[in-house]
Amino acid sequence: MEKHAHDIVIVGAGLAGLRAAVAAAELSSKLDIAVISKLHPLRSHSVCAQGGTAAVMREKDSFDLHAFDTVKGADYLADQDVVEFFVRQAPREIILMEHWGCPWSRTPDGKIDQRPFGGHTYPRACFAADMTGFHEMHTLYGKATTYSNVKFYDEWFATSLIVENNIVVGLTAIELKTGEMHTFKAKAVVMATGGHERIYEFTTFSHTTTGDGMAMAYRVGAPLEDMEFVQFHPTGLVPSGVLITEGARGEGGYLYNALGERFMKRYAPEKMELAPRDVVSRAEQTEILEGRAFMGPYGPYIALDLRHLGEEKINERLPLIRDVAIKLGGVDPVKEPIPIRPAAHYSMGGIKANIRTETPIRGLYAAGECSCLSLHGANRLGTNSTAECLVFGAVAGEEAAKYAMSAGFHEFPEEKALAEEKRVFDGILGSEGGERVPQLRDEMRRLMNTKVWIFRTGEELKSALKEVRTLKERFKNIKVEDRGKTFNTGFTAALQLDFMLDLAEVTIISALARTESRGAHSRLDYPNRDDERWLVHTLAYYTVDGPRLEYVPVTITKWQPTIRKY
Amino acid sequence: MNSEVVKVVEFRIRRYDPDTKRSYVSTFKVPIRRGTTILDVLNYIKENLDETLTFRHSCRMGICGSCAVNINGKPMLACYTQVLDLNADIVTIEPLSNLPVVKDLVVDIQPFFQNFRKIKTVLIKPLEALKKEEEFVQSPEDLKKYWDLTLCTKCSICYSACPAAIDERFLGPSALTANYRFIADSRDEGLDERLKPMSDNVWLCTSCNSCTLFCPKLVNCANSVVEDRGLLVEMGAIPRTVKDVLESVMKYHNPMGTHQSKRMAWAEGLNVKTYPSVSKADVLFFVCCSTAYDVRNREIARTMVTLFDKLGVDYATLGEEEWCCGDHILRMGEKGLFEMLAEHNVVMFQKFNANRIVTLSPHCYNTFKNDKPYKDLALNVQHYTQFLAEAVENGRLKPTKTYNRRVAYHDPCFLGKRNQIYEEPRRILRSIKGLELIEMKRTREASFCCGGGAGRVWTEEAEPEKRPCVDRLKEALELGVEVIAVTCPFCVTTLEDAVKVLEVEDKIAVRDILEILKETL
Repeated sequence: MEKHAHDIVIVGAGLAGLRAAVAAAELSSKLDIAVISKLHPLRSHSVCAQGGTAAVMREKDSFDLHAFDTVKGADYLADQDVVEFFVRQAPREIILMEHWGCPWSRTPDGKIDQRPFGGHTYPRACFAADMTGFHEMHTLYGKATTYSNVKFYDEWFATSLIVENNIVVGLTAIELKTGEMHTFKAKAVVMATGGHERIYEFTTFSHTTTGDGMAMAYRVGAPLEDMEFVQFHPTGLVPSGVLITEGARGEGGYLYNALGERFMKRYAPEKMELAPRDVVSRAEQTEILEGRAFMGPYGPYIALDLRHLGEEKINERLPLIRDVAIKLGGVDPVKEPIPIRPAAHYSMGGIKANIRTETPIRGLYAAGECSCLSLHGANRLGTNSTAECLVFGAVAGEEAAKYAMSAGFHEFPEEKALAEEKRVFDGILGSEGGERVPQLRDEMRRLMNTKVWIFRTGEELKSALKEVRTLKERFKNIKVEDRGKTFNTGFTAALQLDFMLDLAEVTIISALARTESRGAHSRLDYPNRDDERWLVHTLAYYTVDGPRLEYVPVTITKWQPTIRKY
Repeated sequence: MNSEVVKVVEFRIRRYDPDTKRSYVSTFKVPIRRGTTILDVLNYIKENLDETLTFRHSCRMGICGSCAVNINGKPMLACYTQVLDLNADIVTIEPLSNLPVVKDLVVDIQPFFQNFRKIKTVLIKPLEALKKEEEFVQSPEDLKKYWDLTLCTKCSICYSACPAAIDERFLGPSALTANYRFIADSRDEGLDERLKPMSDNVWLCTSCNSCTLFCPKLVNCANSVVEDRGLLVEMGAIPRTVKDVLESVMKYHNPMGTHQSKRMAWAEGLNVKTYPSVSKADVLFFVCCSTAYDVRNREIARTMVTLFDKLGVDYATLGEEEWCCGDHILRMGEKGLFEMLAEHNVVMFQKFNANRIVTLSPHCYNTFKNDKPYKDLALNVQHYTQFLAEAVENGRLKPTKTYNRRVAYHDPCFLGKRNQIYEEPRRILRSIKGLELIEMKRTREASFCCGGGAGRVWTEEAEPEKRPCVDRLKEALELGVEVIAVTCPFCVTTLEDAVKVLEVEDKIAVRDILEILKETL
């Protein structure tokens, strides 16, 4: 195995990963920084973020307002110290992006424009038309590639973290082009690998965003926090699940059922279509379950109507949405409503990390969607995720840099790398069973879609747990047809499924244990929020027998939980 | 919950096994529903028919740029292409061109991305400005000036379709556009720094327009390159070869550097009416500098005249008052010089009261049609292939002798890609008895440029194997054709250069369609 050593290794090159790289490189030009990503950075899922990035930019807005909106949106499960820090840092990130060249949309007087978004009481979403994540990514990549001390390992697949005595010492990764495993020694490792919603069948997620980093951290002892909280986005395009930005409603779009009703009036009479995502998705799902949805060749759907916005506004503010709806949905939003329904979209849960992005493993940091700080609690507000990636990506880069400058390399236990090589090449690539990876993956995704969806019950979750464990057993018996070394995507699909099965299991177990309804987690058998018992974060620890759950209290600074109404 | 299968389509996929270094084609039949994309097909094949099929993909919504492949010969995003839109029962899928193949449809994208390291991909501002903790003001109008250029996903489609990119010195359409995107950004203050990395290689672009034609985000790369050049011309930061061409045009009103008094030398012995002795005719024959001055090409013009006479057409040329149309000059970035040429020609057109213009060169045709101030005249202009195709159609022109040769037709970019004239030249060729018309592998919109456009015909200095003409001629040789037919004097020049470079004079000949016609009448 070829060996590499870098002061800091960042895994994942989306918004959080690139932001971390820039922050670390800014702190010291002497640091040797590596960014490992299984995709070329610009192929990362962050480019799919559309609607905007939340930040307090104007006098009429305030940090307290943004913080309270976030806490209320989170159904009071957010750690409020984290929220308060976050809202104060976000504006700086908008300005930095601006200074590096981000083409923000503008007000007539040339300032950065902001649009309304669900759950925000002030229009604070800075945006670049409806390609905000795309433009932030291209801006950040443009910046990150200017540093000579940042080395990119594009299309390298990280398989495991190496931890000794609760200190991270490095990781293993496969160079896809050659199929060879290499070891990376590091003083600090930053995980920035994104969410795990590819465990669901109907999802806004890129094919490649499979939660690898969460699973890698989990397997070496880092707890996964609040994994039961999966956000369902109200507007996934039917049939592909591709995201139709909340910005479409921010700009004034309406939701209709088959009876021609703007049904949100029954669920959130004040905020209507701009209620938080959990509220709107539940409303849509209820319309579907009660038979008031449209029926199409790909099942029930809700109509997102933008026609009244007019062609000019749609072209200026929502050009990507129009293009995507025409190319992938076969409808032109200028002329017809867009067929949509809720789609798995975001993981509020992730690798437990504190306000400095430190995980319980020394030297291991986590930022962006793969982490849980907990900023979003039980439900994230739209535009807070790209903001989180920037704010905490920067924190992770700085913290990892400071740590790496004070720490030395630890000894890298070769036997662990050899064991990993054996697990991956003999155990997975060399497995001689009869199970097919695409088949198992589809079964998992259907299972999550039917039994671990918007509305959950103990019974269904129990059955889902049983099924996912059967799938895990069957996975031991797979066969990867492609035995080649070079760019073996059948092999990486197997590695990804291996990770996803762990994450599906943690999601189900965490959901089963939480016998209340809060934010995105809705239990039909426990329909109410239960602050007395459940104002706590779930922590799932890896054991050979499956996840072990622990609970820790929520940090509350200013805002006591009250009734959440929109 | 599935819509109906509309039809079953056969997919022929180019494979490459890096372990055995074997290249082969796999064929799969896949059921297609309304909305099925090429990416859906690839995933279907991988999951149901052949798990070893290898391709890149990620967002499946046209924004991450992973899944570009050649579909029926054209570079496109697999996820953004619906199968039913292709109107085909057989679809070929191949890896992108111009990039080394890693495995099956996966190509090495590093050569493409390396070019971005040569330019500055962040705003350039004085340090004090960047220290301020407030936003820079930029009006919506200023944002609009570069917004469209920010939409590039770096999918590398433009690079794979680019004839200039076979020379690694060329930054490529995408990186050159990214460079111009910052130049056009009102916040940026780094013009001088941005001009440097492209000043020696931007001239390799032939303005063939493939980059722009195939861009899934409709980014006008071709135009950005012209804007880049315009700035270099303005600064005087241009290579000697380019300077020589521009000076010739300035001095002599043609890029050949020959005196205008020699412009009609091609017509020696023919009784061609010219302005001002004739100030009106049904057809104004616009000859083009290349056909008028280049001894090799004169025969093309002479044949046209013979045909005019045969068809009894009342025609005349502008004689010494025909100046270079300026098409190349405009695309070399010398807007002022172009305007000077165009203004003269416009005045002449008006004096001549030109009702109908026939051009020999697709370049003259293109600029008369599409560039101001010509465009404003709404001229009735035809390329000679359009004019002659009409005559073939209504039976007035009948090639009589047989021409027993295998002929490949090379679509000139300024006729095809820029003006969608694909059929007329083929119609003429098909009217010739004995002629076997073979389609090039890269044909019509996907035609590969000869390398002559935007002045490169006069400034070519690349090593032979990096000249687009050589690449193109090799493609024709692979087809085993005896003749490569063209309809543009510049294609004649470049492709004959390739014949000489490859020393294949005994295998293949370059002929303008007019020259073929001449042999058959």
